[in-house]
Amino acid sequence: MFKYRKRVFAVSAAVALAASLAACGGSSDSSDGDGTSGAPTSDEKGGTLNYLIFAPIEHLDPQRVYVGRDITNLSRTVYRTLVAFPISDDPEVANTPVPDLATDTGTNEDGGKTWSFTVKDGVKWEDGEPVTCEDFKYGASRAFATDVITGGPNYILSYLDIPTDDSGLPAYKGPYTGEGQELFDKAVTCDGNTITYHFNKPWPDFPLAIAGLHMMDPYREDKDNGDKSNFQIFSNGPYKLDGAWDKASGGTFVRNDNYDESTDSPDLRRALPDSIVFNIGQTTETIYDQMIQDSGDAQTSVTSQSVPPPYYNQIEGPVADRSVNIDSPYTYYLVPHFRTEAMSNPAVRQALAVSTNADAYVAAIGGDKAAGVAESIVNPAVVGYQENPAFAGSNAGDPEAAKQILEDAGVSMPVKITYTYPSSETNDKAAAALKDTWDQSGFEVTLDGLGDTYYDVIQKPTKESDVIWGGWGADWPSAITVTAPLFDSRPNLTKNSDGQDYGAYDSDEFNALVDEAQNASDLDAQTAALQQADVLLGEDVAYIPLTTTKFYMLYGSKVTNYTTTPASNGYPDLGAIGVES
Amino acid sequence: MFAYVIRRVFIGVILLIVMSLVTFVLFFASPVDPGRYACGKNCSPAQIEQTNKALGYDKPVIEQWTDFLKGVVVGREYPDDPALRAAAPQLVVECPAPCLGYSVVNSVTVNEELKERFPLSLSLALAALLMWVTGGVLFGVIAAVRKGTIVDRGIVALSLIFYAFPAFFIGLFLLKFVAIKWEIVPVPVYTPIAEGGLGLWLQGLFLPGLTLALLYMAGYVRMTRAFVLESMSEDYVRTARAKGLKSRKVLTKHSMRAALTPLVTMIGLDFAGLMGGAIITETVFNYNGLGKLAVDATVTYDLPTIIGLVLLLGTFVIVANIIVDVLYAVIDPRVRVG
Repeated sequence: MFKYRKRVFAVSAAVALAASLAACGGSSDSSDGDGTSGAPTSDEKGGTLNYLIFAPIEHLDPQRVYVGRDITNLSRTVYRTLVAFPISDDPEVANTPVPDLATDTGTNEDGGKTWSFTVKDGVKWEDGEPVTCEDFKYGASRAFATDVITGGPNYILSYLDIPTDDSGLPAYKGPYTGEGQELFDKAVTCDGNTITYHFNKPWPDFPLAIAGLHMMDPYREDKDNGDKSNFQIFSNGPYKLDGAWDKASGGTFVRNDNYDESTDSPDLRRALPDSIVFNIGQTTETIYDQMIQDSGDAQTSVTSQSVPPPYYNQIEGPVADRSVNIDSPYTYYLVPHFRTEAMSNPAVRQALAVSTNADAYVAAIGGDKAAGVAESIVNPAVVGYQENPAFAGSNAGDPEAAKQILEDAGVSMPVKITYTYPSSETNDKAAAALKDTWDQSGFEVTLDGLGDTYYDVIQKPTKESDVIWGGWGADWPSAITVTAPLFDSRPNLTKNSDGQDYGAYDSDEFNALVDEAQNASDLDAQTAALQQADVLLGEDVAYIPLTTTKFYMLYGSKVTNYTTTPASNGYPDLGAIGVES
Repeated sequence: MFAYVIRRVFIGVILLIVMSLVTFVLFFASPVDPGRYACGKNCSPAQIEQTNKALGYDKPVIEQWTDFLKGVVVGREYPDDPALRAAAPQLVVECPAPCLGYSVVNSVTVNEELKERFPLSLSLALAALLMWVTGGVLFGVIAAVRKGTIVDRGIVALSLIFYAFPAFFIGLFLLKFVAIKWEIVPVPVYTPIAEGGLGLWLQGLFLPGLTLALLYMAGYVRMTRAFVLESMSEDYVRTARAKGLKSRKVLTKHSMRAALTPLVTMIGLDFAGLMGGAIITETVFNYNGLGKLAVDATVTYDLPTIIGLVLLLGTFVIVANIIVDVLYAVIDPRVRVG
């Protein structure tokens, strides 16, 4: 569907609640209290693990992959990074990068504007050639070819110290045309095996960013054929692709003979199965028919799909022993549209927040196995998470309190508002649940469920919606990838588009806090500024949190060490999982 | 006859050109911005503009359409931007005529996509065709011959039941119960003959083929029954009986021959439609044929693939129509074309 993880998440979640993506983090609430399961533990190597996925993977190119599930699967198998998140149930440990292809977690100078890493010796590509600093430099350059390398994360375009041209884009146009190459060569330098990145502003969480995304991965120039390389995998990890990848049906990873275990860490990759088969395309229902039956290949299978709510009652007894139910890294939320007459009034926004029945919303989308009520737009797994005080207290909606707020503000009732959301059977029910309490609270709500054009419509400045639904997950476990991209009006609000600031929230005070966070030279200062920014968003009712979605997944009876960690974005962690031979 | 065929082919080509234009216009009439869609998250307006340019979506619709038609006739090269092709030859994708475009969603030419998916759809259509024609004609004839008996009523009632069930229901039932729960047959996996031999190929096609066959068979049973009954009351059949021919010979030599003529039209059109992809069946069984490709292309706004599929399916139907018209004359001597 869409090419990037947050958007894909939002749509897929909206349509089916069968999340197929992830971002960083994800606290645990499984059957045994954390992301680990009751699966047998074993260090035995061998066997074939099956990974069942519904929707095709959009990109396998490291600079283009932007779906949390795919990022983590590729990290554990074929694409090693400078630093990576370790396998751990403890979010603090799992959110702290450790060295992978680099000798350490990097050193920074100039208040976080310059970062250096030294590439380990002895790390090889699947053809036996060494992974070099130049490979890292080339990999970083590819994102600048925005006409070829599309769909991937583009943070580096705004961070790397390269001037912009008249269009506002970097003057360097990527390695294919070579235009502006000298600018890039100054911004990224190699000295022996040490690579140095020069940024135009501090990037204190740079290690988190490159552990969370593949945008700075090494790439061999002689293997680069642009878009033709989208489904090509040239590995430096413990596995390699056997034959070609078929986008519609998947592919098989087998052991990479040129992988040297001694250059890696068991905290990142245990590489237990001899092969991993990615089986793409079966519907979530068919996947779960087989997983529940637990026969044949299903016994050695894991899946990225969540149990569909109609199947919940089948997850009992021995089947329930093979299940985990954990918080996902994603949050659903509402934004009031500040341009409309109704929502430009702070009292109306306040009344809307007070009357939002998040409990009913959770019940409508599948109950507590599908989601939990959120207390902030920032996911609990993100570094520096705190409950937003503006949304403390009952989550059931309080019609009387809402009416009182409207009455005190002299607002005549009912306040007519339109709620816009992506329509689906589940979302229609959830919208009706919200409307029910809002209608009792002095509002008269018109539901506006949209189809596939949802994001095109809500990004238009001319939209007439008063309240808009959204879904989001952090790109790496920092709120800088949540509140800043969603509410900083400067990059979002243009003549033709509201970008991701769907509610057209425009606050100089908030933008100043984003600047403070972006210019902070250390993580603590950045986190403090972002926490303050979230409090301000709550006070302004720039958003109303709805739910933290949950993953509810089964695994086969012959799967060992089954775990879903914050490092694996809540999905089965292929770094740890094995199968009984 | 030859002039007739040429005329039909010419009209078919015109029809295909119109279909491609309509598809283009419909796609661009939608509020979706394909550049924004392809660019990714956090893309600035300038980046979206650049993506649109790289994909050729910045050009007027008519220019894009004429570029497309030109590609069909003489082939094309991608990326669309000639400066980029010149600067980086390693990026160039050759798309020889008849080039149906390049799918940026799947990073491959549409021709390759269709070539890859077509064998499955064709296999599935053939398997289904074999089952439904055999079953449909056989049970239809039995019902006609045993008109008014319990056998006739039973066959008609059963066919009505299958006709009433949608394909997704039959498909899901066969997959969930017959394959997964009861394990009567293995969960179907399509294996090309070249990879697994005839046995695995047939095994993989059994349940999906049966899904389609049950659906189509129901209609064919009823029609065969009606056509055979109708032909059995014709004068020439009565004459044949009067001449003392055996009932079986009257049925096979005279009644069925006439009854089959209208069925051939239907078989041709149904088969052509199925070759273009059995959308629901392929989706239920996760069979990556043209039908599933159509679903994926629609969901991802993959314009080149959508147009390619529309034209391919249109071609199947047009060609099937021509073949059916020609076959009329062969099957039924009363018919003369041209």
